[in-house]
Amino acid sequence: MARALWSGSLSFGLVNVPVQLFSAVRDLDYHFNQLHEKDKVPIEQRRFCSKEDAEVTWEEVAHAYDLDGKQVVISDEELGSVQPRKTRTIEIEAFVELDQVDPIYFDHPYFLAPAGDSEGTLRAYRLLVETMASQDRVALGRFVMRTKEYLVAVRAREGALALTTMLFHDEVRAAKDVPTGGKKPSPKQLDGAVAIIQELATDWDPEHYRDCYRERLRRVIDAKRKRKTIEVPTPEKEPSPVPDLMDALERTLERLRNGEDPRGEESDGNSRGNGSRRRSSGSDGSRKRAKSSR
Amino acid sequence: MPKSIWNGTVTFGMVNVPIKLYSATESKTVHFSEVHAKDGARIEHRRICPKEDREVPYKEIVKGYEVSAGKYVVLEKDEVKAAAGDRGKVIHLDEFVRAAEIDPVFYDRTYYVGSRDEADAFRLLREALRKTELAGIGRFTFHDREYLVALRAQDDVLILHTLRFHDEVVTADELELQPGARKPSKQEIEMAGQLIKSMTADFKPDDYEDTYRDAVLDLIKRKAKGEEIDLVAQEEPAHGDDLAAALEASLAGARS
Repeated sequence: MARALWSGSLSFGLVNVPVQLFSAVRDLDYHFNQLHEKDKVPIEQRRFCSKEDAEVTWEEVAHAYDLDGKQVVISDEELGSVQPRKTRTIEIEAFVELDQVDPIYFDHPYFLAPAGDSEGTLRAYRLLVETMASQDRVALGRFVMRTKEYLVAVRAREGALALTTMLFHDEVRAAKDVPTGGKKPSPKQLDGAVAIIQELATDWDPEHYRDCYRERLRRVIDAKRKRKTIEVPTPEKEPSPVPDLMDALERTLERLRNGEDPRGEESDGNSRGNGSRRRSSGSDGSRKRAKSSR
Repeated sequence: MPKSIWNGTVTFGMVNVPIKLYSATESKTVHFSEVHAKDGARIEHRRICPKEDREVPYKEIVKGYEVSAGKYVVLEKDEVKAAAGDRGKVIHLDEFVRAAEIDPVFYDRTYYVGSRDEADAFRLLREALRKTELAGIGRFTFHDREYLVALRAQDDVLILHTLRFHDEVVTADELELQPGARKPSKQEIEMAGQLIKSMTADFKPDDYEDTYRDAVLDLIKRKAKGEEIDLVAQEEPAHGDDLAAALEASLAGARS
């Protein structure tokens, strides 16, 4: 298991559970270095004073904030002075129903694991997992990691405590100005759209989706290494709006009933489809569609 | 009017839905810029070729993937684009899943989806997703990178979440949790349950202010006025070992 990013205690009423924080996501991206094209030497980023035009060491750098055009320089010690005092505690302030928290508020996911193996710690940890899982509730609290205070949600996930940092309400934009015009669909149109969506419904199974971007990037790197030519695909043309909604719905339903590709394309499922489960790809035989199980 | 960041088309079956995409979130974290302590001048990050010991303009820079120590495979900008695939400005919703089944751990970034041009198809898709409580799954290409996305209805808009891939998500098994030597007692579970109930409230996002952000901004204002800043220490709470006693005391506190 990776190194803990933070350790402290989860505080719940007067109960304190010593915990360690681990990231719940891992970075599988391919990362690139900037190289000087001519000599293929990795580029170094160096700090220069814009006034003196001379290189500056990290020790000579200060942090400044632009307050209405006035530059205010803040030292690390001064910044440290405004951090809340209890920086080693995740203080649970309230519990809320899981389905009340829109996932739009969730930011980075972590796990909390018990710190140490004392009987008391393990039991208190397990008690929290079991109680929260049975009630479908999340705990809301705050904690400080590095220099920032976070609002967090703690919930049970797979028999462990999952912690997610959350956005504050003013970091979520209002949707009210997003255009949503359009005529109310007729009952017949809505029935048609619902029928198509239900026909294409399946169970959520994250393992069925591969990161095709990562795979293609790997292939590009390998091809380049072997000095093969890399072909850049032409992007698919953006389809135009359909002139007659009802006609498009009916033709789609007909294709679905005949077991044909609902988009009316020939079976090129691997390149344009979502990967593995298109009917035309023939690889979905073992999977039940959600609609048929309801 | 918010500015859209992407225009494209969502399809389900043979129905094409022209859409616009908007950022749904914005970080309000206080950011500082780097300055030279001596003269307060802005710090510039310059790209230097250490071999030639000189600044290199951006157009002389290429992307290199390190295959072994100091050995790079160089990719041209076009070649990196090849990895984006051929989907262009289309998101095909080829599958639909129950939105509630997607664990939020899979959600990465969130965008609002609004209508464009022929807006009737947009409204139809939104109402059908709302009625079925399903989310459409598709692939979305943005800045030469392809993402897996879930599209769900919320109020009058559609919400698009980019999704993490399963191998990017850590499972609880990987934590290798030790099973507790003794199960929590029935009494402890009951008390913890009561304590959680007594602390349960409705989720009101507005109740939670970013007090740290406020404190940092306040610090900046005080400093700007030339105030002396007090530097304080931090403390750690003690934790007791008697779980039942702590639960009982908490419950007593919650009742009073």
